[in-house]
Amino acid sequence: MKLRFTNRAYALAAAACLALWMVALPALCARAALSDAVRTATLPNGLRVLVLENHKAPVAAFVVFYKVGSRNEKFGATGLSHLVEHLMFRGTKTVRPEEFSNIIQENGGMDNAFTTENYTAYFEVINKNHLDVPIRLEADRMANFAPQGFDSEKAVVIEERRLRTEDNPQDALAELAQAQAFVEHPYHWPVIGWMNDLERLTLDDALRYHEVYYSPQNAVVVAVGDFNADEVMRQIGESFSPIKNGPKPPPVSEVEPAQKGERRVELRRPAELPAVALGFHAPNYRAADSFALDVTAEILSDGKSSRLYKKLVVDRRMVVNVDAEYDRLSFDPNLLWITAQLRPHVKPENTLGVLEGEIAALRDRAPSAEELQKAKNLVQASFVYGQDSIFREAMLLGQYEMLGDYRMLDQYLPGIDRVSAADVSRVVAEYMTQPQRTLAVLIPAGMLPHPAGGASGAVVH
Amino acid sequence: MSRTGRRIGLLLAAVALLAYGARQCWALEIKRTVLDNGAVLLVSEQHQLPMVTISIAFDAGARRDPAEKAGLANLTAASLSEGTRQLSAEQLNRKIDFMGSSLGVDAGRDYASANCVSLARYFHETLGLLASVLTEPALRDDDIMRKKAEHIAALRSAEEEPGYVARRTFTELLFDHQPYGHLPSGDIDSVEKLTPADVRAFYHAHYRAGSAVIAVVGDVEAGQLHAELEHDLAKLKGAVPPQPEPETPQVPAGAHLTTIDRNVTQANIALGFGGIARSNPDFYRLQVMNYILGGGGFASRLVKVVRSKQGLAYSVASTFSAGKFPGSFEVVLQTKNSSANEAVKLVLEQLREIQAQPVSQADLESAKKFLIGSFPLKLDRQSAIASFLIQVELYGLGLDYAEKYPKLIDAVTVSDVQGAAQRYLHPDSYILVAVANQKEAALHVPGQTARDAGRGGGAKR
Repeated sequence: MKLRFTNRAYALAAAACLALWMVALPALCARAALSDAVRTATLPNGLRVLVLENHKAPVAAFVVFYKVGSRNEKFGATGLSHLVEHLMFRGTKTVRPEEFSNIIQENGGMDNAFTTENYTAYFEVINKNHLDVPIRLEADRMANFAPQGFDSEKAVVIEERRLRTEDNPQDALAELAQAQAFVEHPYHWPVIGWMNDLERLTLDDALRYHEVYYSPQNAVVVAVGDFNADEVMRQIGESFSPIKNGPKPPPVSEVEPAQKGERRVELRRPAELPAVALGFHAPNYRAADSFALDVTAEILSDGKSSRLYKKLVVDRRMVVNVDAEYDRLSFDPNLLWITAQLRPHVKPENTLGVLEGEIAALRDRAPSAEELQKAKNLVQASFVYGQDSIFREAMLLGQYEMLGDYRMLDQYLPGIDRVSAADVSRVVAEYMTQPQRTLAVLIPAGMLPHPAGGASGAVVH
Repeated sequence: MSRTGRRIGLLLAAVALLAYGARQCWALEIKRTVLDNGAVLLVSEQHQLPMVTISIAFDAGARRDPAEKAGLANLTAASLSEGTRQLSAEQLNRKIDFMGSSLGVDAGRDYASANCVSLARYFHETLGLLASVLTEPALRDDDIMRKKAEHIAALRSAEEEPGYVARRTFTELLFDHQPYGHLPSGDIDSVEKLTPADVRAFYHAHYRAGSAVIAVVGDVEAGQLHAELEHDLAKLKGAVPPQPEPETPQVPAGAHLTTIDRNVTQANIALGFGGIARSNPDFYRLQVMNYILGGGGFASRLVKVVRSKQGLAYSVASTFSAGKFPGSFEVVLQTKNSSANEAVKLVLEQLREIQAQPVSQADLESAKKFLIGSFPLKLDRQSAIASFLIQVELYGLGLDYAEKYPKLIDAVTVSDVQGAAQRYLHPDSYILVAVANQKEAALHVPGQTARDAGRGGGAKR
């Protein structure tokens, strides 16, 4: 159910997914403060640049973030952000279609990109001696976007939607649940876009979108790795300073009205296992409660001693997996999701009853000091582990910088540390309520019959 | 499995692994010793972050599954971390989570590996728990039966993914009843029959130090570690007897088409034949050849032709999975049902092309530059270094492998690539599995031998 972003090459989707969700629960610093070591600059055209030396391996990561995602799209033209991301690999005035990745790979690097509800990121991880190559190429496609082969790339995106959503019951349920939970805000539609919208998007739509959103003033550039920061800062300045801004991107003005009453939705389609998704409207990083909501999600489902794992997987043996996830770095307030894939023949309403019982228990009785500390320790440890990857470090810095200031990441662990047991119960009582929730249920239906035995053991001849 | 036999006392060999950048060398220092019980210990000290990664490989992978007990290695691995003689599963999980550590055992095709990550300050305690899990696991009936039910449900869930069904069926058909003839997860029918006694017997027979490799990477002192492990793992005596190497699977002449009918929008295709073992000296020639053909992402011919030019698929790739025994060559892709024939035709054309025409010098150089230049990217995180160390030991690559690798790749010539393509690609003798809406896909390949594996499950559902 984690697929609210989508990216260009399927092989790397899992890695990017892990990275994203790891950095979504950031915190402690192994060093005094990670941000102290960061060098920053704002170029005259408004581009923000963050550079961090990290000498643990002879590699470097380069990420360009654009503050544009499905949240910036309009009704009837969904999926445009992600389509533009694909087209960014289809050539510029000087680089031929698909040549981008060839050049990066020849220089001992790997590259990809992904789109989320909130932003689009392009990244390279490369042999440290060749960091100048992605710097030049990324600047080129920010300035000189001229994609070729629009129709075939759109066909690729349509195949991607078939793969991820049409033929995947879990993602089909996630998409439906999200659309039910948001009525007015663009979080209503999926990052990949509705199929009918995709079919109607044109090259002209893409060119205009790039002109507005792919400007230096709307981007953040981050480099982390085994290099000299001054030298890399100079290279970035040289390549990106000449780029001119397009028109100022319009603000996202939609505000989701308060939900008044539970929403229920059901999906019947071919699937092997039933599934349940429960989404609660929750505030984001702007609210002090976001720290307590993070701790709440940890207590509910992080680790095999977490409440939901213990109750639903071990004790009641009702589910194959259960997960509570909350993204406090969402640009606009989003949802805290609880999702579970049920064992065969388990009734969704029975699982829902147990989930409700666990939510009520956490609301009515504050967690013990030990349980609270365990959740905080898990957050701290994942923050240290996250720094083992230069790509994740770059992601973390960029995510905070897009929200206004990368130094906010220094406030994360202290914020988590201040959460009290009473805070946890209070936020559960305030946000995880029935009138503010969306319940989505997947009911397997219309499976083709499975023949007993099938082609078991048949010999090829 | 490469072992140097039993040695008494401490044999310390510090070896520097060099990973080449274009201008500079970067050394990864490794200390290799052998414990009294025969286990090989490889340590790489990394003091930049206060964390440690441990990985222990046992000769307990899915290739060791007895006949009719597919999935036993996997169930055994999963059951090991469900408590020890002293600690219930719940007590163990609480201790692990409280430290923010992770601990798990997984079975792959060749080996099972026990993996831990911890903060440096909890390293000794985490290692102690890992040692108890490995030397005195509880393996209680109730916990094993619970894991078994979870695995069966997870296998049901996997059946929702048409790509999984295609891969599973391809594996079963190609390797028949050989050690590689099933995925590590096994199949529903075989897992249903597994008993707690099977799990305990498999554990006692295969979790033996004499066949194990231990990699420790991170903020530790290599010197103390040897003694600590000597003590902690003393109970894991003996070795696993060697397993006879099976023949490389041969697919008879013709196109062996297996169709599985599903109500899906895309045809999920797996096409291939027998491949090579990791020890085959042609490994490096095939690495270069396959990078150009379909392993090189956006630089590969399959992606260029099937995705970039025609927009037929989101992902298409070819892989030689070289293991302890000869593995497979497999092309995997998804495309809308109605394009299935076209996509298969394009894939076969590319296999024939790389056999018939020498690759250009430029294509050869690009492939070499990527394979050599991106090598440091394989060593940029603790977990990556740990798995690298284990590969080096298990496949006998030598502690100077990082130094040798560029030379091995650089030696490959245009005619080596063509020769390898001619010897190891078989575009006229292959297995083709298609999970699709068969009416829409209407698969037809020249010279086909068709079998209908039924509407739902295919082989061994």
